[in-house]
Amino acid sequence: MSVRYIPVQWNRFKWGYDAALLASVGVFLWAFLRVTPEDLGHERDVSGAIRNARAFGACAFVMLTGILCIGPLARLDTRFLPLLYNRRHFGVVTAAVALTHFSFVLDWYFAFSPAGKYEALLFANTSFTNGVAGFPFEAFGIFALLSLLILAATSHDFWMKFLTPPVWKGLHYLIYPAYAAVVAHVAWGALLDQENTTFAWVVHVGALLVVGLHLGAALSGRDAAKPRTAGWVDAGDPATIPEGRARIVTLASGDRVAVFRHEGALSAISNACAHQNGPLGEGRIIDCLVTCPWHGFQYDVRTGRSPAPFTEKVPTYALRLEGGRLLVSPDADPPGTPQRPVPVHRGRTT
Amino acid sequence: MSERPFFVGYLGLPRGLRFMTLALAVSLLIGGGLLATVIARAKDDPGPGTFRFDYGRQTVTGIVALTPTPILHVTKGSEHIEAGRTLMLSGQGKNGALLRARALEGRLANASGILLTRGDLDMMQLVCGEAGLGPADGDAPMAPEPEDLGRWELAGEICDGKCAAGAMRPGTGIAHKACASLCILNGLPPVFISTRPIEGETFLLIAGTPEDPMPPELYDWVAEYVALKGQIVRHGDLLVLDIDTATLERTP
Repeated sequence: MSVRYIPVQWNRFKWGYDAALLASVGVFLWAFLRVTPEDLGHERDVSGAIRNARAFGACAFVMLTGILCIGPLARLDTRFLPLLYNRRHFGVVTAAVALTHFSFVLDWYFAFSPAGKYEALLFANTSFTNGVAGFPFEAFGIFALLSLLILAATSHDFWMKFLTPPVWKGLHYLIYPAYAAVVAHVAWGALLDQENTTFAWVVHVGALLVVGLHLGAALSGRDAAKPRTAGWVDAGDPATIPEGRARIVTLASGDRVAVFRHEGALSAISNACAHQNGPLGEGRIIDCLVTCPWHGFQYDVRTGRSPAPFTEKVPTYALRLEGGRLLVSPDADPPGTPQRPVPVHRGRTT
Repeated sequence: MSERPFFVGYLGLPRGLRFMTLALAVSLLIGGGLLATVIARAKDDPGPGTFRFDYGRQTVTGIVALTPTPILHVTKGSEHIEAGRTLMLSGQGKNGALLRARALEGRLANASGILLTRGDLDMMQLVCGEAGLGPADGDAPMAPEPEDLGRWELAGEICDGKCAAGAMRPGTGIAHKACASLCILNGLPPVFISTRPIEGETFLLIAGTPEDPMPPELYDWVAEYVALKGQIVRHGDLLVLDIDTATLERTP
């Protein structure tokens, strides 16, 4: 959280995260490039530029697969949340690796010609309607690279404020079509060519892992049946909500509400963090403030407001008791609206 | 609800997550290296084609012929190029040698440059200007009479002769399709790599017209495995294939 924009809010964990990330990229590239033709029994090596393009391309694919696995992994097991905290740096480094792959390809396959490199990229293969095998797989790669560059360029919180969180979030869903395009780019380009099927297995397993983890996270986080009527929603026995934690309730509208218990009283706020829609209900109360599990944004549970000087606000919801059951209002109050907490006594609310 | 330690980035790693996070970082390092090795070791053999820089610059004399791609029937060889060989000619980079060769068609010429070889495919990348391809003194002897070998049914791949000869490794295949098309568009010799030898030759030069060094219908088929029929004519020790474009079909 910050009240002003600075390039990176460094902290010790981020330094460690980025060091491990860059070291892993370095090890991947070193390991890829150190395999010699003698190791493989080949008379001659692949051209240097092609070898480099393959190394950076394979690295970008593996990194993008990893990025897309982090979200569902963190939903399935909170011990993976540290991977998610600095995921945007992961994304920026991936875009840089993909751009390097593109540079090697452009300066090799599309260079040395009277036509400009970028021009040649557009006209050299235009077999769009001539069957599957010769389809210009470069188009998939260009789309994926442009998407990654847009996501990297807009990854800073400035752009989220500027574009508004819903637009920013929507824009960053571009990562999914970008990944599909990368898989198609690899399948139509590298895989159709190769006799050795090892890389095909890597790509298939990677893509299936991404799909499988997302399905698993979606199934595990499935809401209880939505209420059929639009009235107040039963949030269960209030005494069973642990101190400092929340129960997530789904409204008929589909919106999710986090009902927190703090110092013996219950309050309800939207489950979506104002920062990046992180699941506030999976967070905890630290220093009297609800703390988002994704990036640590904090809110006063009674008002939905971040502590001064921060200005983030989330919607709040009214609560009431009926027959020992806790009920949540179906209507959100405007972000930052104070609500009177509902006290809990001896395992029962009053 | 789980009692696992709660992570907040700016507060540092809680004690209960330190081992897990360290294990993840180490796994990322080791796993990345192992995965990269597995992928790198899976690459196919790019073939033996290469620039013969080790031979140095070669200068030969011969008769220029156009198919319309320029070829040279060598009459006076060099240390590594015997008289009687037929060379395909190319310029630097993705540039053909057709403009230089047109004025010399049927004449005796000196050609100088770097040899590229791959199996029975020989190509010379000419140095720039007349130093690369210029008229030679003396009358041109008779060029080898073209020999019609009849109509053949072939399977293989259309690509550019320079990359296939080893200017790029690999210089064939789908991933190389755009580059091959660009090379051919710029006048480099289009070749057909047959899956089985024809009269002992695997690489066949594709014939075109003065306007189109390669029939335009063929561009969509470049770099794919195709079956086709065509007329084959021997020019010296080089086979030239005139493709019947109506017979083209993809092979699995």
